[in-house]
Amino acid sequence: MAEEMLLTDDFLRQLINVGEVDILVGLRTHNNANTIEPVIRAIQTGILQCFPRERVGIVNADGGSQDKTPELIVGASIDDVWSVSKVYALRTLHSISTRYATSPEPGTALRTILAAADLLHAKACVVFSPDSTTIEPDWLQRLVRPVYNDNFDLVSPIYRRQKFEGALIQNLLYPMTRAIYGYRVREPYASEFAISGRLASDFLNKESWNDESSRLGAEIHLTVAALTGTYRVCQSFLGSKAQDRGASDLVAAMRRTVGALFSSLDSDFPLWSTISGSQLVPTLGAQSEVVMEPARVNRKRLREMFATGVAQLEPVFRSILSESTLSELQRIATLEVSEFNYPADLWAKTVFEFAASYHKSVISRDHIVQALVPLYRGRTLTFLLENRDGSGEDIERNLESLCGDFERLKPYLLEVWADRK
Amino acid sequence: MLLKGQAGWYKDAIIYQVHVRSFSDSNGDGIGDFQGLAQRLDYVQELGVTAIWVMPFCPSPLRDDGYDISDYRSVHPSYGTLEDFKAFLSGAHDRGIRVIIEMVANHTSDQHPWFLESRASRDNPKRDWYVWSDTDTGYRGTRIIFLDTEMSNWAWDPISKSYYWHRFFSHQPDLNYDNPAVREEMWNAMKFWLELGVDGFRLDAVPYLIEREGTSCENLPETHEVIRELRKKVDDHFPGAMLLAEANQWPADLRPYFGDGDEFHMAFHFPLMPRMFMGLRLEDRKPITEILQQTPEIPASCQWCLFLRNHDELTLEMVTDIERDYMYDLYARDKAMRLNLGIRRRLAPLLDNDRRRIELMNGMLMSLPGTPIIYYGDEIGMGDNIYLGDRHGVRTPMQWSGGWNGGFSTADPESLYSPPILNPVYGYPAVNVLSQKRSEHSLLSWMKHIIQIRRSSPVFGSGSIEFLYPANHRVLAYVRQLGKETVLVVNNLSSAAQAVELDLRRYKGNILIEMFGRNVFPRIGDLPYLLTIGPFQFYWFRLRRI
Repeated sequence: MAEEMLLTDDFLRQLINVGEVDILVGLRTHNNANTIEPVIRAIQTGILQCFPRERVGIVNADGGSQDKTPELIVGASIDDVWSVSKVYALRTLHSISTRYATSPEPGTALRTILAAADLLHAKACVVFSPDSTTIEPDWLQRLVRPVYNDNFDLVSPIYRRQKFEGALIQNLLYPMTRAIYGYRVREPYASEFAISGRLASDFLNKESWNDESSRLGAEIHLTVAALTGTYRVCQSFLGSKAQDRGASDLVAAMRRTVGALFSSLDSDFPLWSTISGSQLVPTLGAQSEVVMEPARVNRKRLREMFATGVAQLEPVFRSILSESTLSELQRIATLEVSEFNYPADLWAKTVFEFAASYHKSVISRDHIVQALVPLYRGRTLTFLLENRDGSGEDIERNLESLCGDFERLKPYLLEVWADRK
Repeated sequence: MLLKGQAGWYKDAIIYQVHVRSFSDSNGDGIGDFQGLAQRLDYVQELGVTAIWVMPFCPSPLRDDGYDISDYRSVHPSYGTLEDFKAFLSGAHDRGIRVIIEMVANHTSDQHPWFLESRASRDNPKRDWYVWSDTDTGYRGTRIIFLDTEMSNWAWDPISKSYYWHRFFSHQPDLNYDNPAVREEMWNAMKFWLELGVDGFRLDAVPYLIEREGTSCENLPETHEVIRELRKKVDDHFPGAMLLAEANQWPADLRPYFGDGDEFHMAFHFPLMPRMFMGLRLEDRKPITEILQQTPEIPASCQWCLFLRNHDELTLEMVTDIERDYMYDLYARDKAMRLNLGIRRRLAPLLDNDRRRIELMNGMLMSLPGTPIIYYGDEIGMGDNIYLGDRHGVRTPMQWSGGWNGGFSTADPESLYSPPILNPVYGYPAVNVLSQKRSEHSLLSWMKHIIQIRRSSPVFGSGSIEFLYPANHRVLAYVRQLGKETVLVVNNLSSAAQAVELDLRRYKGNILIEMFGRNVFPRIGDLPYLLTIGPFQFYWFRLRRI
């Protein structure tokens, strides 16, 4: 049987025409026709304004759009930008697209983009989300310049978020990644980032692409690869970030992110097990405060989902959680919203116990991640209650306290990790 | 006395631009002259060019290298006599080479007797031969061309205590073409040379002949009237003589200079030249195809003049700010290389003496629509001297051999009009005609070859052009066609080898014959025609249905 190739012949032909580039802009699309045009326009304007002399190519990996998203990308002429911005393009700008599958698979899409960056010898590769409707042209340079000019290998974004947005990142992904790998990267699972050609090539050649969880959570693996390798990492302030459309499917998001993060712990144990505390990474640009918009969250429903989950999944939790953690969760499940509190240290212990169980595969790994969902909802309720009347500084202080608990309890993770039970 | 030949000879011409002063010194005074030029005509003939454009040689104070004329009907004594010029002209014609001379029509030297009379008093009969004013506030909308040296287009004349108009240096007062006497006298000057047998004129600075308040004083309708009048006289009295416009303008502004075929026969395509250099550095055909797309059709009897370098700076007037910055950064990082809005460098140093890029640029020069002009010395890859001031660095003595003064003159080196190039890379011991004639792989030999091939087909001079737009933007490809003759040109602007697929379906059934090696390439079929092409390489294919 012929070996299956990542890049189709047609895509390869398009890449030949693009030729060597300085900057490769990657997009991963699937039915994004409603949002893609302003994104493309912002990228093109960013290229003209900030990188008029550089060789840039836009490469889209599409997961089987039915709404002509690829056609919109390929058909967007940079000459149209001139009429709006009065910035003149010195060079030809190629926008090419390939369909890698009939359904979206973010890891394969990223892999396709990295393969293109590798083949075209891109010095910098930047990836944008196709539904970033709040994107501004200068996001391009905010992400690319640190790679292109200052030799950073990974530039992770920091967004100006609304008060209660990004709860999964703030309550789990950021504190956990920070405690495990010792670096304070605020968006370890970013849909927009820039990487160096070196990191792109190295990551492309990793064996982990064969692993499903790695493919699902390729971004977090990329961040981890940058943090644990000999790479320079920084963060760059962008601007307001609209809520990800896909964020509403919490189970899928957890599988993609938390599953990937847990998975990375397996292979990287020698690297993270000796790390304690955390350090800042260089952060570029002007920080902007959170937007203080009131939350429209059904707290009662969150509590119910938590309580129901704790009750229904008790047999599962018995194989994942320690006695003390489970009994404490069961106690919290009896609390009304007004007195509900899922403390940060208990949450950190919960997550660590889940990570250790994932490592030991006490049950199906997929089920472990799914079982965390109701507990995460409980923690989210506490996050909302804690910060209901808080200022941006209050939220930041609470977050820092949570991260502190994760770091302080990291020895507990090592303990349960090593526990043969 | 005109060289016999078909009308429209200029369309198939290949022009060699020389400066008498710089080419060859026959009398050992350190300055080139017409006898020296005549002695080198065999070389010019061997090169294969069909016309010589001789830069200004009339009497002049030489404050602008002869573009400041003080007598329109004679030869500067340093360059010889009128008899010497006639002998040169005759020698050129004997070899089938036409001669184009300069007509600096817009202005004279401030030492010209006309101006001396004009400034003598306000009621002098020649007062009205120049543009005078009591104030320096007129024609405010007019740009200053020599930004590095001039603060205003008006200069104060202390003798007649008034201001005179000048578009170039202040010692070059503009003639007043609203005065019929001026137009008549300039025609008489041209007639003088045409009667001697010259084949055409390059008219210097034509957009600026007429001034009008409230305008840019460039490209005015009245200027076109003057040109049409002149052209009619040329056609009536000297059919076959050619007029070439020097008008550094955008293509759309240049187009009117061809009129309905009743103004200039030819005009320089100024905006194309910097974009060829830009396309090469960007490794992207975009600048070239864009400017040619913007280039309007011209009457069938007319022709563009194409050049890579000439006696002036590589002008960047006809580019955008972002393009100019790019060109400066890539081609003139050293500020001493910049002059006015341009770059004062020769072809070889501009291209880092990279033979492949020099060949590619010449390949495009010879194959794009127009009549190519080769600047003396560029055929051997001469260098420049950016420390000589003004544009003198690209006007150094021609390098004939590795011997005394590079074979240019027997004078003491100190007495040469300009020091020759002496550096180890471009100096005459390394770069000279004699040594390159001895090598069949030298740049000179290659230039002879490409000129020979260009001359082998009229398609390059008179054929149509159709750009192909292969998806690979590093490849500039076009089809030239004239009658049954079709030539496909493929240029790789990249420093890396490229694969390119060309849509040649409309030529299905033809085979490609590479014109340099005469090798046969596969027949064109239904599929895209795949070519691989080396760094900075180009192909000229003759299409044959056989």
